[in-house]
Parts: sequence; C-alpha cells; structure tokens
Amino acid sequence: MTPMPGAVLFRLAWRNLWRNYRRTIIMLAAITLGVWAMLFMTAVMRGMVDDMVQTAVRSLPGHVQIHHPEYRDDPSIANSMPPPDQMLLDALAQAGVVAWAGRVRVPAVITSERDTRGTTLVGIDPEAETGLSFVSDDIVEGRFLGSPDDKGLVVGRKMIDDLETRLGRRVVVMSQDPDNEIVDRGFRIVGVYEANLENLEEAFVFTGRRYAQSMLNMDESISEIAVLGKSYRDVSDLSHLKQLEGSAREVLPWYELDAYLGTMLSTMDGFVLVWIIVVFLTLSFGLVNTLVMAVFERIREIGLMQALGMRPSMILIQVLLETFLLLAVGLAAGNLLAVVSVAALSDGIDLSIVSEAMQWMGVADVLYPALEIRDLVTTNVVVIVLGLLAGLSPAWRASRYQPVEALTKV
Amino acid sequence: MSSVRCVALCRFFFQGDQTIKALDHVDLEIDEREFVCLSGPSGSGKTTLLNAIGGLDKPTSGEVWVAGKRIDTLGKSELANMRLHQIGFVFQAYNLIPVLTARENIEFVMQVQGVDPEQRRRRSMSILGEVGMDDMEDRRPAQLSGGQQQRVAVARAIVSKPAMVLADEPTANLDSVTAEHLMDLFVRLNETHDTTFVISTHDQRVMSYARRLIGMVDGRIVTDEAH
Amino acid sequence: MRVDNITLSLAWRNLWRHPRRTWLTVGAMVFSNILLVFMISLQFGMYRVMYDNSLSLITGHLQVQAEGYIDEPRMRSTVPAAGGLANALRQAMPANNVAVRAMAFALVSSAERSLGVQVVGVQPSYEPDVSNLPGLVKQGRFLKASDERAAVIGSSLSRNLKVGLGDELTLFGSGRDGSFAAGIANVVGIFESGSNDIDRSFMQIPLTEFQEVFFMGDQGHSIVVMTPDLFELEPAMSTIRSIVDADGLVVHDWDELQPGLRQSVQADMASAWFMYAVLIVLVAFSVLNTQLMSVLDRTREFGIVMALGLAPIRLGRLVFLETGIMAGLGLLLGVAAGSAVVSWFGFHGFTYPGLEEMSARFNLPGRIYPSASFASLIWGPSVVFLACLAAAIYPAAKLLRLQPVAAMRAA
Repeated sequence: MTPMPGAVLFRLAWRNLWRNYRRTIIMLAAITLGVWAMLFMTAVMRGMVDDMVQTAVRSLPGHVQIHHPEYRDDPSIANSMPPPDQMLLDALAQAGVVAWAGRVRVPAVITSERDTRGTTLVGIDPEAETGLSFVSDDIVEGRFLGSPDDKGLVVGRKMIDDLETRLGRRVVVMSQDPDNEIVDRGFRIVGVYEANLENLEEAFVFTGRRYAQSMLNMDESISEIAVLGKSYRDVSDLSHLKQLEGSAREVLPWYELDAYLGTMLSTMDGFVLVWIIVVFLTLSFGLVNTLVMAVFERIREIGLMQALGMRPSMILIQVLLETFLLLAVGLAAGNLLAVVSVAALSDGIDLSIVSEAMQWMGVADVLYPALEIRDLVTTNVVVIVLGLLAGLSPAWRASRYQPVEALTKV
Repeated sequence: MSSVRCVALCRFFFQGDQTIKALDHVDLEIDEREFVCLSGPSGSGKTTLLNAIGGLDKPTSGEVWVAGKRIDTLGKSELANMRLHQIGFVFQAYNLIPVLTARENIEFVMQVQGVDPEQRRRRSMSILGEVGMDDMEDRRPAQLSGGQQQRVAVARAIVSKPAMVLADEPTANLDSVTAEHLMDLFVRLNETHDTTFVISTHDQRVMSYARRLIGMVDGRIVTDEAH
Repeated sequence: MRVDNITLSLAWRNLWRHPRRTWLTVGAMVFSNILLVFMISLQFGMYRVMYDNSLSLITGHLQVQAEGYIDEPRMRSTVPAAGGLANALRQAMPANNVAVRAMAFALVSSAERSLGVQVVGVQPSYEPDVSNLPGLVKQGRFLKASDERAAVIGSSLSRNLKVGLGDELTLFGSGRDGSFAAGIANVVGIFESGSNDIDRSFMQIPLTEFQEVFFMGDQGHSIVVMTPDLFELEPAMSTIRSIVDADGLVVHDWDELQPGLRQSVQADMASAWFMYAVLIVLVAFSVLNTQLMSVLDRTREFGIVMALGLAPIRLGRLVFLETGIMAGLGLLLGVAAGSAVVSWFGFHGFTYPGLEEMSARFNLPGRIYPSASFASLIWGPSVVFLACLAAAIYPAAKLLRLQPVAAMRAA
C-alpha cells in the first residue's frame, strides 16, 4: 500500500477549485451568504432570548429561588417560611453564590386619592438587592430604600401615572396578614423606578423588609430567597442548594420557575439547528451541481490519472478535498461577515417601531445580537459534515469511471 | 522472462445486435527491452491492445500477463498500482494535467508513489534535461506547444523507470520534425534505460524506427517481423 | 417576448442535455417552494388564531370609550348612559354585537385569602355575544340577567382564594368618586381561558351590581362591539360615530386597543421574510451558476449559430426561455408538493416540542393548522420564479457581447 500523497492531492484540489473561477465565486458567494444568514439569524434570536431571560431573572426570581413548597401554587402570605437557618446561611456563603436576598412578597392593592391598582408588595433588604434585581439600579426620581426598616415606598413610573400621584405623596397599601385579616397602611412614595418593560413598572412596589413584616404581622418570616449565580445559562454552581430542599422549602432554578422561558431556551437550540440545516439543504443543490459539473469537465483527466496509476480511492479523496476547500473558504468568509455584522450592531438593533409587540413578548425594544461560540461551532460542523456528505455522490461517481471510457470522453 | 504475454486475447464491443471484435484471439509475446511498433489502419485494434496490456480495459476473454504476473483478473486498485510502478503511458493528446506545471506533472507519479521531495526534484530536473525541456519546468501545459507537451509526457512516463512504456499514436498531432525528435528520444531511452517500448501508430516514419513491427487488421495480428 | 416553436423546442431539448444538472436546479426551487408554501400557510394559520384568540377573549373589534381612557384607564373616565347608548347601537347595526362593560380594581377576600383583582361589570345577556369567555366557564355557569350578588372568576383565582362554587367573596375598592366601595358576591361559575393573566386576576359581576357597588349610576367604561369582519371596520365605525356624538367619547379599533397584536404579526413577518429572502437568494445563486455554466459550455455552439446569422438577442431569449421552463417546473412541482404538505398538516395540525408551553403564554393552542389560500400557496413560489428569471440576466447578457469568431475558437 502506497501512502496517501497528501500534498499533491491538496495542490490539485486547490488549483482545480480556481479553474472555473466564475462558478467557484458564485458558489462561494452562496455559501458565504448562507453561512452568514445561519449565524446572523441565530445571533439575533439568541440576543432576543437572552434579553427575555435576563429581564425575567432581574425581575425578581434570580437564578435560583428558595421558597415554601406551596408558594408557587399559592403565592400568599400563608406560605411564607422562616428566615434562613445556619445551614442555609452556610450554603449561601459558598463560592458559586454571587449574591442572595430574602424578601417578603405578597399580593396587594394600592390606592391613591384618585385610583386603585392591584400589585405586589415586596419587602427587601436594600443592600442585598444590589445587582440582584432591577430596582436598585433604576431609580429615576427620589431615592432608593435605605435599610430593611425603611418605611418609604418605591413604585414604578407607570404605576405613579396610573394612580395620578407623585413623589412625596401618600398612598394606601392593602393586603392580608397570616390570619386573613385585612391590613392596610399608609406609605409615602420616596422613589420612582423605571424598567425596560412597562408592565414591570406596575407589577411591584417596594418597601423595607422589616417594615413589611411588621405591617403584615409575620414576625421574621420571608416569602422567598433569590440567589444569583455566575451565569443564568449554567446554574450548576448553585446545585448544592438543591440538597437543602425539604418539606419546609423548595429550591428551583429559573427555568423551572418560568416554564415559558425554560422551554423557549431549549426550543431555541432545536430551532437553530433546523434553520442551519434548511439553509444548508437549499445550498446543497447548487453545491452538488457545481461538483457534478467540475467532475464532468474533468473526466479525461480522471482517466489520465487512473492510467498513471492513481487508485480510485485517491480520486474520491481528491474530489472530497476539493469540496472541503470550497466549504472552508465559504465558511471562513461567512463567519467573518457574521462576526463583523454582529460587531457593527453591538449598539443594538432598534425595534421601537414594533415596541408594543416586543413588550408583549417580554423583550426590550433594543435587540443585541449575541453570537455564541457554540453556535459558531455547530454551524461550521454541520456545514462541513453535510457538505462532505453532499460531495460524496459526485466523488464516488468520479472514482468509478472506467479508465478507457474516461480517456475517450470528448 | 517476457515483458508481455497475451494468450487468446479477445475484446468484443456490443453495439445493438452487432458485435465488434476489436481483438480477436490475439497471441503475443514481447520480451524485455524490445522496441515494438503496432501498425494497422484505424479500428484495427491497436489502441485496444495497448489498453488491455496496460490494464486500462478488461478483456472479454483470454489472458494478459505483464512481467510474469497475470493482470486480467486483478481489481481496479491493484491495476492502478501495477501501472504506477511498472508502466508508463503516453497518449496521442491531452497527456498532461492542466493545473500542474511541467515539472509537477513529471513529479506527479513519483508523488503518488511516495518518493521523497528531494529525490523527486533531482530526478525530474534530470529527466527534463534529458528530453530537452530544462528551461520550461514552471510552465503550465497551456503554455507549451504540442511537441513540448509530448516531451513532458514522455519524461513523466519514464521518470520512475518503469519496465515498459506504452505509447498510443504519440506523434499523431505533431509535425514531422517534432515527431522525428520524439522517436529519437524513444530510441535513446530504450537503449539507455533498458525500457520496453510498445508504440501504436499508422505513421510510416514511426514504423521505420521499429525493431519489431506487428501489423494488425480487424483485431488480428497479420504480420510480425523483426526490422 | 415573442417565442416561436423552434426556440421553445430548442430550449426544452437543451435542458435535457444535462438532465442531472437541470433536475438539481429544479430541485433547489422545488425544495424552497415547498418550504415557503408550508411556512407561509402556517403563518397565516397562526395569525388567524392569534387574532381570533386575543380579540374575542376581551378586546372585541371596536370599543367606545371616554377620551383618554385607553392610555389611562381611570374610574372616572366613563361613558355616560352606557346601557341606552348600547341599545341605540344595536338598533342601528343589527349585524354587530354590542355589550357594555365597566372595570375596577378591588381587593377581593375569601374566608382565607385576599387578592387584588380586576373586577369587570358585564351585561349577562349581551356579554356572550362579544366575548368567548362566558363559553369557557368550566364549572357552574355564566351570569344571568336575574342574578344578584353573583360572580364568575378565573380558575387560578379560585385556587388562590381557596373558593369554589357557592362561596362568598367580599370586594373592597374605591368608587367612581374615590370614596370607599364594598360589595359581596357569590361564585356561580369558574372559567378557564387558557391565558394565565386572565385566569389569575379576572372576575366578572353583573353590570347593574357593579354600578351599584362602585357608585357608577348608569355609566360604563366601554361599549364593546364585535363586527362580522375584523378587517372591515370602517362601516361600523362611521355608524358608531354618527350615533355617539357626545363630547369626550371616542371609538377605538382593535389595533389601537391592542397595539401589540398587529406589531407582533409584523415583527414575526419581518423575521420570516428575512429567512425567506435568504432561501430565495440562495436558489437564485444556484440558477445563476447553472445558467452561466450552460452558456459557457455552449460558447462554440453559439458562435456557430451566430455565424449562421442568428441575432444575439434571440440567443439571450433562448437562455431566458430555458430558465423560465426550469422555474415553471419548479413552481408547478413546488406548489403541488407544497399543497400536499399543507393539506396533510391542515388536517393533522403541526406542532413541535415546546410549542405548547410557549403558545400558552400568548393564549394560543399547542397545535397550528396551516391555512391554505391561493395567496399563501402562490406568494412564495412566485417570488422564487421571478428571482430565478432575474438570475438569468447576467448569463443572457454575456451572450450579447459574444464575438462569433472568438466564440467558435473557444474550447
């Protein structure tokens, strides 16, 4: 068995590629466009889902949430839990935890002298919330809460408009205590926040945790503990918390808390693959055609090489090598174009003309395309593998020609 | 030991209900270092005989032996290997791979054989000199005349020192002066390299170089004489 | 373009000189056409369900409201004498359905729980004509005109309040004038709309009851109108405008009432068209490649016929004709196969893992039925057809610059 003469096969494949440069350039343009579209579309969709998840995670649940086992079904004060014990505190002090905060969170009705709205009253430890939820960063008027004992109320921009009230005015918040007695208390509005989604500005009003506990007669109990890890994509750093689950508490990652987003994220992976394959299949007809033509034009030469002693397997490899080079050049250009176009859009794509729809879907109206390494890898691997499969049929035919017939072909 | 031996070699082509007997029970023996010309009108079976000897074509029946080995029963890859190491081919035209330069064309066979680059270069340069093409190593086939292309083809056919060169109408596309140069080259190579030459032709001048002249008509050998 | 029989048969025969090449090119068209026909039909099917589901639950096609209520829904932004106005509308437009509603937030308490709830006063005899929510009552029944102190609530709300049929609820809120409002209602029905928001925070009581509890007198917040066709609103709107001449009242169509809806469709269409455009351009590239090669292959042949006196323009026409035949084949086969795919899924429905969970958020079913129409079947393939013809321009133009002598010498 003679060794595979790699260098000469490579040289032949490369030069043959540029023999009919028009055809090669058209095919390369098609591959480049296809690869760009695969990556760009994926980046836009990843960006959108990213934004949805991050918005959702910032709008309170955190990456992992700990609460009473019944709380998810019935988020009322009756399903609160005691403050974290030493074991839980130890677990929360471990390396994977970036931040955590305990909260009181109950449904409530808020009334100004003008109007009434339903909302959620959240009692927080202001310092612990920094970086964990959106309120602390997004105060646009007045101040943020100072301590767990703060008696002030921080409300959303939309809420303050709904209630026709303003900073410094008093509002009444009504809820129930653990015995289902209606409790109400007057609050002064000390701060106003803005969120990237309007409905978030109505969903929550914030006060100091201890003040909320005293209003609701719940002693030191809290409704939930939100935990922030390093990244929402991978919460395995926080898996040790899961071991603390028991009859008194439930520990859930965000994608189980919000099944919609969890499904969205996993469906996205499937969709990306389907999109890549569909674009590739559309390309593949032209690819096979190009290769068939390239082989057809060279039948004589193939006969000649056979006469000179080239084995059929080497001819097969030579055509596959040519396919590979064509794909590789197209992929390189497509990848480059995608990286450049995503970088050029790093300031975001303005979708404000359809902002209502974006609100509806839970997305901000500026979209940041996110080109991820794994999508790059998937795209390149899929294109190379399927491309070589497509090249297999012309390559096989090329290697099966009878030398005499090939040599006498005009 | 004989270089080539054919026993009752037949190659039939079927066209509709007609059977064309391109080779009809040919018995032939060619010894090492012979310089043989196959002559005959077109369609007499010269090319078919060369193709059968070179293992490019499968006979319908009969036996083909090359260098003491029966080849008509071999598979495609084994045949390719046999050609690679034992036979050099020169065709009438389109002999060269268009995307490779003259030198790369000559080195092609050696590269497939796995000869190391330094030796390849040495041998290709010396053979280029031998066929008088030493200043044209970097030209592509399209930049060479027909005669130059044939000389490169000959250089490639003999560079790895095959036992036998099969040439199918090598002078058909050449003017008479160039054809004479080419035949001189063949004769010289036959003498200096001990290579067996089997050349098909219907050109009288080519036949005059032959030391053994085999005449073919309708797929049969009709004359076989020393010259 | 004038085409004689000889050119036509020449074009046809030329195509089949390389059957493999021709089929691969037609194959690309057929593939993308099937995909386009299926996707566009699926989109149309989905949009229809989206419109129906999101409008018929609450919004309706048109609403008469006080000016400004749409942006800031305040208790005191009311429609005066709403019941009478609704009757007038019913008489003027018998083909349309009309009902009055009033809305307020209230703290609703059961024996165990208290929650903030959107309380809606509805006309029990008219509400089922403008909304499919009454039809979605899964336990008990919808409100009746004769009901007193009755309420229907969402399924999640009933769970959260820990109440069932017959249980009593107390309402606390503020009335139209800002004074304290309180009322009592017994649960007579529990609905499951499929929309989380509505099932969790929606409660309906009779309008008269609502007006009493919240000190509304004869006023309401909106008059909801369902027209026969949601895309033909102008006649109804002008009739309504002629009747509702009071100052401070306006008519909104569903697009104003739910701006997210049309925009969602538009956003979805935009991203879909990006994908379609990519597929179509890729097919065009494939045609460009094939036709350019087929022209270059035949350079010598074209040189000969030009030398015989054929005008280059006729050769260009020939190339277009060949492309047209391929594109026509692609169109026919694509539409035929696409229709088959659409009708199969139109019968069985189309779904994929995760669709059900995701659709639930937008109140959509977990299975989409593509809706085939002439437009949905022909739109995509027509664009592909035109793109393919456009791709033949460059190869055809090359012929116009062909020099007969040089062409005949070409290898």
